[in-house]
Amino acid sequence: MKLRFMLKRFFALVVTVASFQAAMAQSSVTGKVTDQSTGAPLSNVSVTVKGSNRGTTTSSTGVYKLSLQSGDASLVFSSTGFAETEIAIGGKSTIDVSLAMSSTKLSEIVVVGYGSQSKKDVTGAVSSIKGEQIQNLPVSGATQALQGRVAGVNVVRNGGSPGNAGSIRIRGTGTINNADPLIVIDGIPSGDLNSVNPNDIASVEILKDASASAIYGTRAANGVVIVTTKRGNFEQPLKVTVNSYTGISKARKTLDVLDAKTLVTLKKERYLNDGIDMVEAWNDPYNLVQRTNWQDELFGNGLTNNTDVSLTGGSAKSSYMISAGSYNEKGIIKNSYFKRYSLRINSDHKISNRLKVGQSLQLTRGTDNSLNTLSSQDGLIWSAVRFMPFLPIKNDDGTWGSSQVSANEFGDINNPIYTVNSVDATNINTRLLANVNAEYKILEGLKFKANLGVDGSQGTNRNFAEIIRGQTRARANNSLSRSFGEGYSLLSEYFLSYNKIFGKHKIDAVAGYTAQTFNGDGFYASKRDFPNEDFSQRYLDAGQNFGGIGGNRSYDALQSGFARVNYDFAKRYLLTATFRADGSSKFDKSNRWGYFPAFSAAWRISNEKFFNVSFINDLKLTGGWGQLGNQNVASLQYLALIGGAGHYVFGDNQVVSSAQVRLPNYSISWETAEMTNIGLSAEMFNKSLQVNLNYFNKTTNDMLLAPPTIGTVGRLSIPDKNVGVLSNKGIEIDLSYNNKIGELSYRLGANASFIQNKVIKLFDGNFIGSTIYGRQSQEISRTYEGLPLGIFYGWKTNGLYQTQAEIDSDPNLKNDSRRTDGLVTPGDVRFLDINGDGKIDEGDRTNIGSPHAKMVYGFNTDFNYKSFDLSLFFLGSQGVKIFNADRMQGIDPTYPFNMYAETANRWTGPGTSNTIPRMSTKRNNLNYRTSDMFIEDGSFLRLKNISLGYTFNEGFTKKLGIGRTRFYVSGQNVLTFTKYKGLDPELGYIDGNKQLNVDYAQYPQARTWTLGLNVSL
Amino acid sequence: MKHNNFYKAIFILLTLSMAACKKDLLDTTSYGQVTSNTFYRNATDAVLASNALYSLLEDEMFFGHPEQAWDICSDDQWRSGDWGNEQALEELTFDPSNPQFGWSWSMRYEIISRANSVLLNVPNIDMDKALQDRIIGEAYFMRGFMYWQLYKYYGQVPVITEENVKSNTYNVPKGTMEEVEARIESDLKMAGDLLLATNDAENVGRATKGAAWGYLSKLYLYKQDFAKAIEYGNKVISGPYPLASNYGDNFEPATDNNPEMLFNVQQVAGGWTGDNNASWYYAPRHMPWDGWGFQEPTDDLVAEFEEGDPRLEYTVARDGDIIQGGSNGEPFQYNATEMSGKAGHYFKKYTKLKSDGTGMNHDLDIPLLRAADIYLVVAESKIRSGQSGDAEINAVRERAGLSPVSGADMHALIHERRVELAGENERHLDLIRWDKANIVDIVALYAQDRGQWKRPRSFSRPKHYYFPLPQREIDLSNGVLVQNPNYQ
Repeated sequence: MKLRFMLKRFFALVVTVASFQAAMAQSSVTGKVTDQSTGAPLSNVSVTVKGSNRGTTTSSTGVYKLSLQSGDASLVFSSTGFAETEIAIGGKSTIDVSLAMSSTKLSEIVVVGYGSQSKKDVTGAVSSIKGEQIQNLPVSGATQALQGRVAGVNVVRNGGSPGNAGSIRIRGTGTINNADPLIVIDGIPSGDLNSVNPNDIASVEILKDASASAIYGTRAANGVVIVTTKRGNFEQPLKVTVNSYTGISKARKTLDVLDAKTLVTLKKERYLNDGIDMVEAWNDPYNLVQRTNWQDELFGNGLTNNTDVSLTGGSAKSSYMISAGSYNEKGIIKNSYFKRYSLRINSDHKISNRLKVGQSLQLTRGTDNSLNTLSSQDGLIWSAVRFMPFLPIKNDDGTWGSSQVSANEFGDINNPIYTVNSVDATNINTRLLANVNAEYKILEGLKFKANLGVDGSQGTNRNFAEIIRGQTRARANNSLSRSFGEGYSLLSEYFLSYNKIFGKHKIDAVAGYTAQTFNGDGFYASKRDFPNEDFSQRYLDAGQNFGGIGGNRSYDALQSGFARVNYDFAKRYLLTATFRADGSSKFDKSNRWGYFPAFSAAWRISNEKFFNVSFINDLKLTGGWGQLGNQNVASLQYLALIGGAGHYVFGDNQVVSSAQVRLPNYSISWETAEMTNIGLSAEMFNKSLQVNLNYFNKTTNDMLLAPPTIGTVGRLSIPDKNVGVLSNKGIEIDLSYNNKIGELSYRLGANASFIQNKVIKLFDGNFIGSTIYGRQSQEISRTYEGLPLGIFYGWKTNGLYQTQAEIDSDPNLKNDSRRTDGLVTPGDVRFLDINGDGKIDEGDRTNIGSPHAKMVYGFNTDFNYKSFDLSLFFLGSQGVKIFNADRMQGIDPTYPFNMYAETANRWTGPGTSNTIPRMSTKRNNLNYRTSDMFIEDGSFLRLKNISLGYTFNEGFTKKLGIGRTRFYVSGQNVLTFTKYKGLDPELGYIDGNKQLNVDYAQYPQARTWTLGLNVSL
Repeated sequence: MKHNNFYKAIFILLTLSMAACKKDLLDTTSYGQVTSNTFYRNATDAVLASNALYSLLEDEMFFGHPEQAWDICSDDQWRSGDWGNEQALEELTFDPSNPQFGWSWSMRYEIISRANSVLLNVPNIDMDKALQDRIIGEAYFMRGFMYWQLYKYYGQVPVITEENVKSNTYNVPKGTMEEVEARIESDLKMAGDLLLATNDAENVGRATKGAAWGYLSKLYLYKQDFAKAIEYGNKVISGPYPLASNYGDNFEPATDNNPEMLFNVQQVAGGWTGDNNASWYYAPRHMPWDGWGFQEPTDDLVAEFEEGDPRLEYTVARDGDIIQGGSNGEPFQYNATEMSGKAGHYFKKYTKLKSDGTGMNHDLDIPLLRAADIYLVVAESKIRSGQSGDAEINAVRERAGLSPVSGADMHALIHERRVELAGENERHLDLIRWDKANIVDIVALYAQDRGQWKRPRSFSRPKHYYFPLPQREIDLSNGVLVQNPNYQ
């Protein structure tokens, strides 16, 4: 049962007001409303006379009394989580009802920011996810749990390391800057979604369009995610719930690399092909023996444990919910982990008839160690793929196997098993999220509300770097660095809400003031040269030499006034107007304030008299337009800052320095996203089928862009300017069908979104580059006008040259000096001369693919049969490209590394291969430059979760003295259907939003099997 | 009663929210950083700004390696590292996208930007005149020095000065060769006037008059203005910059700041400047160095040394040499096959082991300009303008304990420069300079097969006289920056 007390109160009030309008009471009806499944009385159930706005709510004992007028035919009982039930009055004066749990969605109440609405009345695009859909999944946070649940909401993760949250994208990537949505947890904007124990969540609402999210003004441009946690009910006996599960995870796959023998053959072949004398190392028989499969050594079994306990209950005046949880995940790579302890206390109190006070408190402590799994210089998986297979983990003398044994032939990689064993790094984050809210009823229909909140966090980390001797990447001095930082945000909000019904007109208005400050403060210190590396000595006091010390402080603030009016005429025409004025400290005084209006309307066609389609129960057409702001860029960009510019030493005299670190932009101001939304929602076939269609068109204007830093500027940071324009357009489809066949009840859900992202304007028509890859500083992603964000940029290819004749006659090389100098040979890649100048050079680079999916989709199915429940959740992405950068380096024989196994099928003569170039140490033809050879279809369909549960017979469990008890077994990432050859097709962003779907051999997502238990006492 | 509750509640709420209700809620402060309006108040700020001129020098991606790597194009060094981009550099098959061309580019312009800032602001500070002059001199020096580095490798480059800062224009076309040369000349002359002749112990490593004059004389030699090269070279020779009595003193941590060292990158082990990155790159990839072995002397270079030239031992480690600083500080024998890369040698100038056997000594500074170089610049200028360069060549030879030469010609000068400055990033640039003057044939020289670790390369004249500008800069300039000839 998820009674959202406050919100229901709010709703109930509307109907209470309505009852006052019923001046001409002629008779009355009373009764008691109970829960069909438990028989317990239900409070706060809305009871209305059908076809009017008159009604009441049930008391704490489930009793209601309602005055009737002549002509009233039937009553409608509705309550969150229960099916709306209509009962004919038929002259009765007592009507008792027991409500069944809801299987339909439209009766829900949704949280919309500074209030809530019946889903029926929503005019904007809002998606709702119930807590139970995302509970007991073996994931570290709610972010991952939202993946694939509703259309238009995409969650991408750049790697599956424990605790890695991923990023939420609502309706595409709305800006090149921070495109994360605003997270509002229990009314506090700014919370971290992953700090919430998913099992504490009652519901998650996602505000997708401008009208819905405009109430959050300047932070709403990327959508809003509102998390509401569970609360207790008044007059509810104590209920104790225990959730516990244990899971084992394993790597889904490893990359096939060459065995020692084949590797040596191929290494030798390079020298033979190049006419270079053989390097002695490759004639050493020791190196022909396969000793270690480094990926198998690196990946092991992961283990996930979760236990949480919650207590809910309430008396007549107070209700509470208390929960405590522990989540402990050991990753599939040795030594990687994430732990979270969480505590939550929520309570509500009726101080008087007019005054209600509530509070929420959440305390979490997360610990992890950040292993390096992203670097293409020394990342762990990157290293394990490339480390020589004939080297042992440890030598006979107990020292770690090392690539140093052959100068420069075995690569500058440290033994990855040594590296993972020597990691001594910890990040600890403690977070407090708390608020107190009060609601005072001034008059019927008019309430004053206040909400005060704090979001505080303390982060500390330590990193001890050992002395490394005998490995290629040695470290001469050991060092310890510690850092400590705290951030706290204070929120104060005051607002008035007003509800009134005049005949067929219903008004629901809210207006208020909100201010939020953000403070950051931190310092770090490091020391070098610890004479003793024993763990007991790894503290700053033991270090002999000063390494560094520093600290900083930051402050930002937002101040806003807001208002929203919902108007409902005869339950057929609904209008919403929203306005918000926001001031942000991120901008200079003259550009501080932004004004964001939004409007939307809905037409409930099914309530029209002329509408007479029997199989359609509800049909609503909505349309909206609005503007939203984004200020999520670096602070103080309107100032020319002078900051620390590094250290130097004159003789033994250590000095610090100062230099300008940023050019100023005095006129920096808001990004404005303008969005139009058209939606259609329908309930059909006795409410068994729900259809939701939405079209949106979102344009981000004045997008803040830093013009590309041309080298002649130096290394100053360049301020953002309001110059870019970005467009996202899309269609979203949500379908849900539920029915029963005998004792089998089932629900089938599907959602899909089709989003097109396009950059309309950039700075001076130029491009924006992104992170470069690997040793050769290869550029992979660029952002250009007229194309989506972060397209792959490089050369096009057409197989390999099989014969010299092909080279000689190739028009692509007509004027290329490489051809005449004999630097292109059979077995090299045929690059295409895009600009038609007869030579292959930088002028031939072009757009070679987009990393954005044409369609992202999900399937949700639930089956219930007697005591069994089964749910399957599929996630998919279609029409998407991945740039496999790891393969680009993995098949490149010019590196002193092990290679992908597929290189065994390299070109060795005409007709032998058209995809894997010949073995050579030369880079004359640059066979492995960024090209379409490394672009793969990244489409996938993944059985993200399957869960089978069994609920024990209640009679049986009662004998044991416990309540509802359910056992389940569940699998995460069970099956993946994809053509993609890399470790994992689920990849995320790198470098802000400028690079997407580039495979660096990130930490792959694991396959996890979980055994769990839920018990109520 | 009920109203009492209401007022109580309001009172509590308002009190709690006081913190968030500051009047000037949206006003922020740049904590720990100042704005350009509040900087350059006094001498302290001026010194901080001058320190920033040097702090980038030790960066791994500047003089830590890429700026030291150009000479793998020459016949002195073999590219022994495992980077494909350096293979392309050595083999002269590089493209403008080769990362070598971009790594140092923005570093140099950042130092130029810092120098411009000093030149715009420090003259307005009311402060001690001598210190003010020194700091302005340092800014001129570092700007001139950076343009010198750009000029040597790329030829024509955009010239960014105070005027560009004032007008906020940075995307500008390349200056002409004369403009770039004039900028270097004028900056280094100003530096020569304003800088101190020598620095006290607290400031050793800052630029001096000698450093400015030294680079000036080299500029004039590159321009073949021999009279001026001699004039400014002689200022160094007659200044307080005597050659160290022992050649090796220049490459020992204890003595690497001797007067002969006109300019270097300062390093201190265990200090906050971090490791000497250049040492990592030059040292063998083996215990006890644990280095990365990226640049090794060729056999050809070793053969250039005269019998008994002690400079060979200070420059190159050969198979069987006794090296100080093995485990427990014991001397040990250098086993080329086992310890080094394939060429078998390593540059000792950039790598010193600690005496206690705990690995590399990161106190060693990175030499950039020595007076000995200037002696040979003067000698070359004299020879090429029909005078005798014997005195300067012999000063260098005698310090090495070698017999003097008489009537030295360019052949002798070329030999002397090669062995005296081996590994110090002069050879490839020297050969290009001499090829342009028809003194050597660089194409023929580079076409020689010097064995497995220095294969014949095809030097394309005049394409390879200069390296290409970084492709990224060409791409970003929207057609303003034009690629060097033959790389388009």
